[in-house]
Amino acid sequence: MEKDKKGGIQEKLAVFALNNKALLILIVLMVIANVITSGLFFSYANLSSVSRQVAVSMLLGFGFTVVLVSGGLDLSVGNMLSCVGVLYALYSLEVPIALAVILAMASGCALGLVNGVISIKLKLAPFIVTLATAQIFKSIAYLLTNGKAVTGMSNAVKYIGQGLVAGTVPLSIVIAVVMCIILAVIMYRTAYGRHVIATGGNQEAARVSGINTQWIQISAYVVMGFFVAMASVVLTGRVAMAAPGAGEGMEMDAIAAVVIGGTPLSGGKAKVGGTIFGCLVMGVMNNLLNLAGVSSFWQWFAKGCIIIIAIILDAQTENFLKKRRA
Amino acid sequence: MGEKILEMQDICMRFPGVIALDHARLNLEKGEVLGLIGENGAGKSTMMNILLGSLKPTSGKMFFKEKEYMPKSPSDALAAGISMIHQEVSLVPGMTVAENIWIGREKLFSSGGILNVRKRLEETKKIMDDLDVHIDPDALVGYQSIATMQLVEVLRAVSYHSDVIIMDEPTSALADVEIHKLYNIIRKLSARGTAVIYISHKLEELFEVCSRVTVFRDGKYIDTKRTEELDQKQLINLIVGRELKDMYPKEDVVLGDEIFSCKNLRREGSFSDISFTLRRGEILGFCGLMGAQRSEIMQSIFGLDPLDGGEIYINKKRVHNTSPQKAIQNHLALVTEDRLRRGGIHMLSVRINLSLSFLKRICRRGFVNTKAEADACNSMVEKMRIKLASLSDTFGSLSGGNQQKVIIGRWMLTKPDVLILDEPTRGVDVGAKAEIYRLIGELAKDGKGILMVSSELPELMGICDRILVVREGRLAGELERRDFDQDLLMSYAFGVNE
Repeated sequence: MEKDKKGGIQEKLAVFALNNKALLILIVLMVIANVITSGLFFSYANLSSVSRQVAVSMLLGFGFTVVLVSGGLDLSVGNMLSCVGVLYALYSLEVPIALAVILAMASGCALGLVNGVISIKLKLAPFIVTLATAQIFKSIAYLLTNGKAVTGMSNAVKYIGQGLVAGTVPLSIVIAVVMCIILAVIMYRTAYGRHVIATGGNQEAARVSGINTQWIQISAYVVMGFFVAMASVVLTGRVAMAAPGAGEGMEMDAIAAVVIGGTPLSGGKAKVGGTIFGCLVMGVMNNLLNLAGVSSFWQWFAKGCIIIIAIILDAQTENFLKKRRA
Repeated sequence: MGEKILEMQDICMRFPGVIALDHARLNLEKGEVLGLIGENGAGKSTMMNILLGSLKPTSGKMFFKEKEYMPKSPSDALAAGISMIHQEVSLVPGMTVAENIWIGREKLFSSGGILNVRKRLEETKKIMDDLDVHIDPDALVGYQSIATMQLVEVLRAVSYHSDVIIMDEPTSALADVEIHKLYNIIRKLSARGTAVIYISHKLEELFEVCSRVTVFRDGKYIDTKRTEELDQKQLINLIVGRELKDMYPKEDVVLGDEIFSCKNLRREGSFSDISFTLRRGEILGFCGLMGAQRSEIMQSIFGLDPLDGGEIYINKKRVHNTSPQKAIQNHLALVTEDRLRRGGIHMLSVRINLSLSFLKRICRRGFVNTKAEADACNSMVEKMRIKLASLSDTFGSLSGGNQQKVIIGRWMLTKPDVLILDEPTRGVDVGAKAEIYRLIGELAKDGKGILMVSSELPELMGICDRILVVREGRLAGELERRDFDQDLLMSYAFGVNE
């Protein structure tokens, strides 16, 4: 069957729009923000506060992207963030900052490994496994702190979350962007990244092609743990303490951001850059609602709606692209 | 001869940028079995989707039982008397045979919302007796063989008292015995006045059951012929529009040294005592009935499934293929039978699909050398004559034949010594089949050893040097090329010798 090229432009635009919906939504949101806050949105103070908040969700989002691409799911990331944050804060009170960060990373990877091994080795649904481990992580966080936030963070700890690079750009957003570039290189330019994508795309086919799919899937959870740890280091610095409930509910933000960014829930396709835009959409939305003085009771409502819309868009995109292929 | 029951006239179907059907037509007589054939993408499925109401044609008219007919949905078509048995089984595994047959129509047997199970059972038995099919109506569908499931689908279509039943590749998952059972049912349906549109890639089948065949090519109606006025070669000419001189080009290859051998391979509950050798340049075929465990043997050799005993030698060295990774390191490759599930990754690009298995070899410190990758992929596309616009086309957008070539190409890039092909031409159109045969021949000429499993005897007899017959997990016979004989092979397969 031949495809004639004239009718292609509209179609190409539609495909571009669906593949980059986060970017488009972001632009629309920013325009709205500019109008209703009469320019306040684009003030330096507001932008730097938004970017600090968004940096944490971006780091979470990157990890989540890897898990989703590999065909997995991790609903424990919110509580894992609290748990690792508490551990990191406690480490930082005892050992030098560099060691504390390394220990936090190791702890994150270890918790991710637990999720991966239970779901993949025992062939259980990751959805339910990670809901269960989330309870355990939450419990550890509260047990370690007796329910109270760990405070008294050193300046070094605070600097990671609050510091500025060249006096203007928040360090946390620099960390997020650097991690994004590293992750993009790994996903698109290394054999490992290809293997993760292939495994998520068709696990059986990947296995037949000589990929150790079990190892790949477990490793995705470990990568998730690594990014959770980074996020918790940044978050602990930003708020200058580690509360045992700090990450609660963040898994929903992460899912929404990643899916709006264009990584399908069904896996097999990575949109690392999309995740950045997805996180910005969520961040700008939160900021907008705050600036407009909307109560947080309503903000949850809005967030729920956004997630549903994101999933609808995800399904529609798949349908549309599938039809185009047929 | 018979009266016309269905007529589709001047059907055009345009999708954005694509003309799927170009003034196509089709007519069907009451009680006849009409074969519908064409290469993949010829427009057969589009035509059937229009007939079923899943698609609305851009223009054209249909007459069904002398009335104008234009269904809006498959349920319209069903109500009018047209039903379809799809290639993939669409039954609910957790329900019984009877429940599946009447699914969605429980009201027929209900009064006041209460289902009369006995009445449904009687009705089910009546249909079964009519067609001389005997399945336990209370058995769970999930526990049945694919053949039985297919029969349940047939029963469901019949239960609608359809005047027209469309069957899309109904035998693709059936073994010979079951195929003959299906033929009998089709003949009974036809005798009762039900017309059948029979879509198949297997030419022998069309000649066996159909009274006429309609050929489509590139969205156009080509011709309709009575099967007795036609032979296979003429039919192929109609389908591809060009002369296929050598469907099975068998090259003269001088066989080399032993490249692969196995001794007493065994897997509990599947196969045992499997021993054979393979030489360089040799194409060794495996035939047998459905369920003879041919694919299972190949999967265990390749390390996808574990072995319970036996020895494998490659280049006379003992190897242990405990995983596909190991097998690939030992220069083995396996093109699996199930292209959809275990072959391609549909939403990813041709490039990623092609380079998947040899990617590690062109990596430096884990980073892919993208130039080397693109060069390798391009030269493979050229060598295999894969039709595509660019390497970034998604695998799913290719036709079945091209998809299969991509998968064979994936393995060629790993430079295997032994290539295992499991049903390499299943669901592939006639033109692409010939291309795949040519490729297999070239590989053998390059000195590779080839193990090929196929359910189509003519193709095995066409290209193999030797054929082994597998029956119930054991080797039941072996024939050299000069002794190839269809009847003999089949009698080994059925175990009727001596």
